[in-house]
Amino acid sequence: MAGVPLIAAAASIRPALEEISTRYNEVTGESVRLVFGSSGTLANQIANGAPYVLFLSANTAYVRWLAGLGLTQGPPVTYAEGVLALYSRSGLFGETENPLMALDSALQHGVVKRLVIANPEYAPYGTAARAALEHAGSWTRARPFLLLGANAGQAVQYALQGDVDVALVPLPLARLAKLQETGQLQVLPKETFPSVELHQQMVLLPGADQKTHEFFAYLQSIDSQEIFMRHGLLVPSPVNLTLQP
Amino acid sequence: MDWNAFHLSLQLAAWTLVLLLPIGIVTGRWLAKTQTRARPWLQAFFALPLVLPPTVVGYYLLVFTGTRSPIGEFIMSWFGVSLVFSFPGLVVASILVNLPFAILPVQRAFEAVSNELHDAAACCGMTPWQTFTRIEMPLAWPGVLSAAVLTLGHTLGEFGVVLMVGGNIPGETRTLSIAIFDRVQAFDPLAAGRMAGFLLLISLVTVALGYGVLERRGPQRQKST
Amino acid sequence: MLSIFLEHDSPSLGVDFQLPIGTLSAIVGPSGSGKTSVLRAVAGLLSTEHSRVSFDKDIWADTGARYFRPAYQRPLGFVSQTFGLFPHLTAVENVEAALTHLRRRERNREAQNCLDIVGIGGLADRRPNELSGGQSQRVAMARALARKPRLLLLDEPFSALDHSTRKRLRVELKRLQDALAMTVLFVTHDLDEAAELSETLVLLRRGKVIQQGPTRELLRRPSTVEAARLMNFANLAKAEWVGFDASGITLRWGDVLLTAAEGPKSQPDDTIHWTIRTSDVFLVKDNHPNESSLGTILPAKVVEVIEMGSSALVSVIVNNSGGEVLRLQLRPGALHRHHLSKGSSVKIALHAQAIVLLDPSDASLSANQAKSKQ
Repeated sequence: MAGVPLIAAAASIRPALEEISTRYNEVTGESVRLVFGSSGTLANQIANGAPYVLFLSANTAYVRWLAGLGLTQGPPVTYAEGVLALYSRSGLFGETENPLMALDSALQHGVVKRLVIANPEYAPYGTAARAALEHAGSWTRARPFLLLGANAGQAVQYALQGDVDVALVPLPLARLAKLQETGQLQVLPKETFPSVELHQQMVLLPGADQKTHEFFAYLQSIDSQEIFMRHGLLVPSPVNLTLQP
Repeated sequence: MDWNAFHLSLQLAAWTLVLLLPIGIVTGRWLAKTQTRARPWLQAFFALPLVLPPTVVGYYLLVFTGTRSPIGEFIMSWFGVSLVFSFPGLVVASILVNLPFAILPVQRAFEAVSNELHDAAACCGMTPWQTFTRIEMPLAWPGVLSAAVLTLGHTLGEFGVVLMVGGNIPGETRTLSIAIFDRVQAFDPLAAGRMAGFLLLISLVTVALGYGVLERRGPQRQKST
Repeated sequence: MLSIFLEHDSPSLGVDFQLPIGTLSAIVGPSGSGKTSVLRAVAGLLSTEHSRVSFDKDIWADTGARYFRPAYQRPLGFVSQTFGLFPHLTAVENVEAALTHLRRRERNREAQNCLDIVGIGGLADRRPNELSGGQSQRVAMARALARKPRLLLLDEPFSALDHSTRKRLRVELKRLQDALAMTVLFVTHDLDEAAELSETLVLLRRGKVIQQGPTRELLRRPSTVEAARLMNFANLAKAEWVGFDASGITLRWGDVLLTAAEGPKSQPDDTIHWTIRTSDVFLVKDNHPNESSLGTILPAKVVEVIEMGSSALVSVIVNNSGGEVLRLQLRPGALHRHHLSKGSSVKIALHAQAIVLLDPSDASLSANQAKSKQ
């Protein structure tokens, strides 16, 4: 196993990254080892000496934190933009173009008994979910019904298994969990949570070697971007890309 | 089925057993016979992993043996291994969280060897070491076996501490229970369920075998006369 | 000589005595008297604050020289109250456990031999839980004897056994000791057992030696009130010292004059305590021809008669005495021959040799003795 880059990545990009690594292996013959977890947990592990060579976070804050500790190598790169989705159990809303408005009215009618988001205090998608609810003016009404996941992954688990009416979770994970099969899954446009950026950054770590650098570059290739997009993420403008070697 | 993870779990259990049993025997024997007033405190200390949430134990291990801690740095510079996010670190953590399982049954077993037998052994001319090997160990053997079974079962199933100090590194720290968790995280309930069932079966068989041996080879093997 | 000097604060222990080698000695005392502690200290299983234990010229412990030989290096055998057999070993393996200095093959032969000596060679393969109390005791004895110890220590060796087994094994112990000419020290709370088996007796109470000496003499002549009580002397009375002449010491007991063969030759400070064994108080027929040979003859009144199987205990009050009751032991035949019942008038004889004067002090005498020996 030695020599194979060990890469830590946010659970929310799992399906995309797994596909990218498979493709990478097909194209280059090289492989990488992937470890998934919540971004906060992974950042903590890195701070405590975990032997990862590349970190793909679901936000920018943990990358900045690690950089502040001097545990990163080179500048961070935004590899994707997160996409927030709203899940509602079948038949809760009916057809609607604006699920947030439908949610607000459902809350007013007391139909929503449980609403799941990731913890807004430290999970990036939780912060975005709260911003969306605040922006729609539903936050106060929603609060008594909130169920907080420790991270986006747990929020999706709750939505999948619990007796949940509505969930605001990352689109890739929601798709992976096949939430669309038990209800409606609708993308929330960036305008619904204007105050929060879901830039997802990655950064090389001190143990990174040549092979890591190669994979790091591959992650910024058109190939990878296409896969990220297919899995429900947005990718940064090509202008940003051209800056990279 | 993640055979890699299963293999790692077995390796972890084996190393834990090999290193922990002697520690358990020495410490348990000492606790059973010592007169020190600190005994309740020591016992409480060794029982801590039983009462603390595994994540708390893991957290302290991370803080005290992480590469940025003095201990972690020292171990790194002298032995060239990191005690976190590595297999050796997992073994150390596993030994620590299994201390109560290895020590307490052994201690009880040695306590059950009466002072009268110690006196008798001494008056038979046996040195303390001979007394230990010929009298105490054969009599305390069920306690030692019991400790081994508990340690084995517990190591196979341990999750919280392993996740904290081991991370989830395939082939290095991803044990079977972590692999199950990983599959759940990946919304792959089928694989998770399969592995969970397998782990359940293994644990059941291990513990049942252990108890079977215990019943057949207790200290007072009754002969049907 | 087996000499034993032990001092300890809590539990309080302070003994200093010697025992002859090659004989059976007993330490007798009530529970809590420290007799087991003494035995364990001699064995090396217990270390006291101050100790000096030696066997012959062999020193086993001497706190003055900071020397303590651990139990496993002392040439002794030990049988505890509940025998301490190793439960995971068979009878013969139990004995082999004491023979670790031999080679494996010899070990087994010798162990079997030891079991044969105590008469249970046929039970060699039994485990302790398959042995009766008496059989267990024999295995323990065989194990204790296996190393041919110079000293055999027995802690209440018969107390866990039923009455008939106890009687049989006492006889065997005596026979074994005779045959091996071994030094045996045993501890018991049972005075009869000690009287039956031992040649030397040590009376222990509250960690102190009350009296020590040849068993037969000790049983006849306790030196203190305490010793008399420990040895179950039923007759304890007080008297005044009157005088001393060739025939002995004259005492005034109430209005009655008594003669004791031995005692202080001058007026003591305190009242004299005296005792006489119940079997040494004799009933005298009115027309007995030779009264003086029996000692002082006194008229008395029977106050109680208790028949107990083969004997009877008769309590009398001597006329004009201090009113203290004397008890005497009679055979049942004698009881009927004398037509005794409550209220009968009788004459009793108290021989000067049988009247034993006692030191009233509690243990102080033996403590002084202990100091003077140091």
